[in-house]
Amino acid sequence: MRAIKGVLLTCDTAVKQILLAMNEKDPFIIEDLDDYHIVIKADEEYRVRKVLEVELEKNTYSLEAS
Amino acid sequence: MPSVQALSSTPSDVPQIVPHALLPFLRSQSQNTLTRLYQRPSSCLSILRLLGPLERQLIMNLLWLESAIPVSTMAAWVVPDGKKLYSEALSVLVGLHIVQNSTVKLALNPTLKSSLRQAITGGGTTASFGVPAERDEKRLPVGIDSLDAYALERWETILHYMVSSGQEQLPTKPSQGVLYLLQRSGLMQSTNGSNLQITSAGFQFLLHSPHDQLWSLLLQYLHMAEERQMDLVEVLSFLFMLSTMELGRNHHSCSQEYTADSLSETQKAMLEDLRDYGLIWQRKGSSKYFSPTRLATTLTCHSPPLPTSTTPGTSATTSSTEVALSSTAGPQGFIILETNYRVYAYTNNPLQTAVLNLFVTMKYRFPNLVVGMLTRDSVRRALGNGITADQIISYLVAHAHPQMRKNNPLLPVTVQDQIRLWELERNRLKSAEGFLYKDFASQADYEYVLAYAKQLGVVLWESPAKRSFFGTLEGHANIRGFIERRSGAS
Repeated sequence: MRAIKGVLLTCDTAVKQILLAMNEKDPFIIEDLDDYHIVIKADEEYRVRKVLEVELEKNTYSLEAS
Repeated sequence: MPSVQALSSTPSDVPQIVPHALLPFLRSQSQNTLTRLYQRPSSCLSILRLLGPLERQLIMNLLWLESAIPVSTMAAWVVPDGKKLYSEALSVLVGLHIVQNSTVKLALNPTLKSSLRQAITGGGTTASFGVPAERDEKRLPVGIDSLDAYALERWETILHYMVSSGQEQLPTKPSQGVLYLLQRSGLMQSTNGSNLQITSAGFQFLLHSPHDQLWSLLLQYLHMAEERQMDLVEVLSFLFMLSTMELGRNHHSCSQEYTADSLSETQKAMLEDLRDYGLIWQRKGSSKYFSPTRLATTLTCHSPPLPTSTTPGTSATTSSTEVALSSTAGPQGFIILETNYRVYAYTNNPLQTAVLNLFVTMKYRFPNLVVGMLTRDSVRRALGNGITADQIISYLVAHAHPQMRKNNPLLPVTVQDQIRLWELERNRLKSAEGFLYKDFASQADYEYVLAYAKQLGVVLWESPAKRSFFGTLEGHANIRGFIERRSGAS
């Protein structure tokens, strides 16, 4: 039996796919559990959130900008 | 005579029965403190006003009884459906030491009983309702209009200072005492450097009604009073005294002044603090007389604490029907929200504009109208500041223009939903630190450990197929101990 320290991320499948793509560039995922859950390295959480935020912002359009 | 009419005007038109913010504070005080407080008729009357309708009813039932009545007699009046409400109300009263704690007989605290009787019937010389100053031809009485203007100016200075602290412009600074209070209550904090910055608690504070705002500051003041070695009974009873004083007693247009001579030293010291908050008006700092403003006289009732700023000093007797939702805007709302996310705010008040600016992108400004739009960016900015979607929605509801009140539901559902969706969007990723347990030797092993972890309630995710589960950080020590004991035993 093994116990691995990490952070459990719960997200929707779309976000998970983005995370998987991010992981190819710069690995941080410890274990891919299922469609909604993954475990990542504890000290990477802040960075992952930041990059994800930027990634999600690319997909939104506001009236203000136009 | 103090105004007793506020008693009858409060109940049914206030829909929600949320216990008043002061009550938990009172409950945390010792029986000794409370009994000393109950020696003052004005305090008893004020506390009666703060209680819910059912508690008030129970007190009034018991007030004129000379002896205690058996619990069973009282309980016989309660229909089965009301049992729960009744026992809740009773426990509130016992918690405040208003009703003596006994399983056999019910009776009011004797001190409270005699004080409250005195408050209602008059008489006595305790001066707990304040001592009116002698009329003096030399001192021109100050009008209610100017008192209202003064209170409003003080209060809006505080709020305006808070709301614009994050921006470049520097508004008028409130006094040092107010700044300290804001800092202590966690509404503002100075991070790097000396300038105070509004906190997320502060942003939430701005969206509350003035009555709630006032009390949350005063509660903080009470906590500070304990640290400053002020006698809490003196402080509380002075606040209660102010709340039973009258605005404009002799004339309809002039305010009543009260003399400060009968006040204790502690209370005289409070005059200065309360002047800064706009609760009290004094001609000069050293004046022997003071007048309570509307902020003070409405502390324990449901009338609006501030007049509308656009039309200062409306009639002194504002109807109390619409005030439950009233706020800085007075009984009249000013915001129209359309389905296309546009916000029209009929106001020329810089404070209201600044508060709206927290979550609305401003477009145009006219002399009596501000037009803006709820956008994803503006709402996200507010959410980032710690304001919740529900607070935005309840602010818009509370300040909705009378025209909006014809709509059912009040706010366009699309906009409400979208604000909530924007909030959810920020939480697409939930995270929890902990340990992943995997590679169990056998299915039985896995199930055995999992059952233990579940018993502790620390399992966040599990998969029998993968034979692994995720537990929280807190549970790790226990689970490790459990596994070690087990492997040691076998």
